[in-house]
Amino acid sequence: MKSTAPDITQIPLPIDQWTQPFWDAAAHHELLPPRCADCQTWRWPPTPFCPKCRSQAIEWLPAGPARLFSYSVVHRPGPSPEQPLQLIVPGLVEFPEAGGMRIVAAIIDSEVEQIAIGAALNVNWVPKDDTNVPTFSLA
Amino acid sequence: MKQAAAAIAGSGSTPYYFRGMSAPQTQYELIGKAIIAACADAGIAIEQIDGLVSYAHGFEASNICEMLGIPELSYAATVTGQGGGSAGVLDLASSAIESGRAKHVVCIGCSQQLGAHRYGTSLASLATTPTGVFSLFAGLVGPGPSMALLARRHMHKYGTRREAFAEVVMASRDYALTMPEAIRKKPLTLDEYFAAPMLADPLCRLDFCLETDAALAFVVTSAERAQDLRQKPVYIQGAAHGGGSDWGRAFFWLNMKDEIFASAGAERVARQVYERAGVTAKDIDVALIYDHFSPLVIMQLEDYGFCPRGEGGAFVEGGAIRPGGAIPVNPHGGHLSECYVIGMTHIREAVEQLRGVAVNQVPDAKFALVTGGPAPVPMSAAILRN
Repeated sequence: MKSTAPDITQIPLPIDQWTQPFWDAAAHHELLPPRCADCQTWRWPPTPFCPKCRSQAIEWLPAGPARLFSYSVVHRPGPSPEQPLQLIVPGLVEFPEAGGMRIVAAIIDSEVEQIAIGAALNVNWVPKDDTNVPTFSLA
Repeated sequence: MKQAAAAIAGSGSTPYYFRGMSAPQTQYELIGKAIIAACADAGIAIEQIDGLVSYAHGFEASNICEMLGIPELSYAATVTGQGGGSAGVLDLASSAIESGRAKHVVCIGCSQQLGAHRYGTSLASLATTPTGVFSLFAGLVGPGPSMALLARRHMHKYGTRREAFAEVVMASRDYALTMPEAIRKKPLTLDEYFAAPMLADPLCRLDFCLETDAALAFVVTSAERAQDLRQKPVYIQGAAHGGGSDWGRAFFWLNMKDEIFASAGAERVARQVYERAGVTAKDIDVALIYDHFSPLVIMQLEDYGFCPRGEGGAFVEGGAIRPGGAIPVNPHGGHLSECYVIGMTHIREAVEQLRGVAVNQVPDAKFALVTGGPAPVPMSAAILRN
């Protein structure tokens, strides 16, 4: 059985000045997490200070390949009697080339039986407002 | 061993209610009843209260002071956080006593879930922020799926089995059989555990704690004064609330280093509380471990040094948390089976164990450990003795 994307249509997307560049890039299907421009430490989520050196300078860069660090399989009632069950998979997506930084995101459209820690992942963009929300699938 | 400066002299509680059944009482009414009961237990008058301590859970000292006619407060403080601070109220109260700021401090905890307000979906309200929204987009609607990420990692790294989670739940259920007010009071078999509906794999419904209503209160005073009051004093041998950026917002953040990701994040607080108390895990006779989700009990047993890191699963499966085991855990049935008041029933049980009047008494219990929830910093713990 394949994993389903959570319904995000009712979830408002609040954006502040520290997350705006991420969503600007996501609008163009670019996954660009923040890295400290002074000490090169990756961080997630985007926040006003580098927790290592307290610099406020940020560069937004591709984080390299993604793999699954951990996940859950959430069982939900399905939309109809023919589909009594939906499986939603919250995943913790790790970027080994970005200091092991992790982004929490849904693992969608993937055979649940094949989902495993360490699996390689590809990003899938789901439209939301004027931008796109990152989700991932088994590569 | 060092002399304790402060002691718990009184313990009071409302009845325990299933979620929503405490209506039409308000949260403040429940709190008022618990405080009156705690003062009566200690043998002090409401007028003698001069300190109020709670942790962040939506109520204010001002309302309580006004409602009960407390003439003069000289100390009012709250442990910040979300669930991790429960045992921290004893740290604040003993700070107030030790520093001379107050003479009779009441520690308060209350849980009331009315209507649509349920802790099980609490992330939905907490996470609608620019940084928190990612959890909602990922499908992390409640604390359960987030804890499942930690539990899955623990299974992956250490080979921990669902049988170990089941044992935590079954042990809790067996203890609860004799507890007069326990909400879940039916023995549980391994087959029944594995037949329970999966909610957030690897967590099934039985790995989640109860949703219940109640208020509890504790009177803390100086060790010396406690000896003149009605009850046998329960000394606060050490208490701590703290943590660090390596744990941070915990399951709202999820970027903890791999070494501590599959833990309860309590190693720092464990070190602090043992140092303050001047004892080690070997000295603890009974452990009241915050059990909102069964795998986190296993991880706390590791953090607090009852077994080595990664061996918690085998430790509990070997019977360690049962009566007569290496460390009896939650003889009142805990949050999983008795009642969930965000850690407060654990303090009550520690007091009863050390007074020697607990329903499931651990023979000759001298030291009790009480932990706050694996949750965002600060987390907390206390070591009590008789």
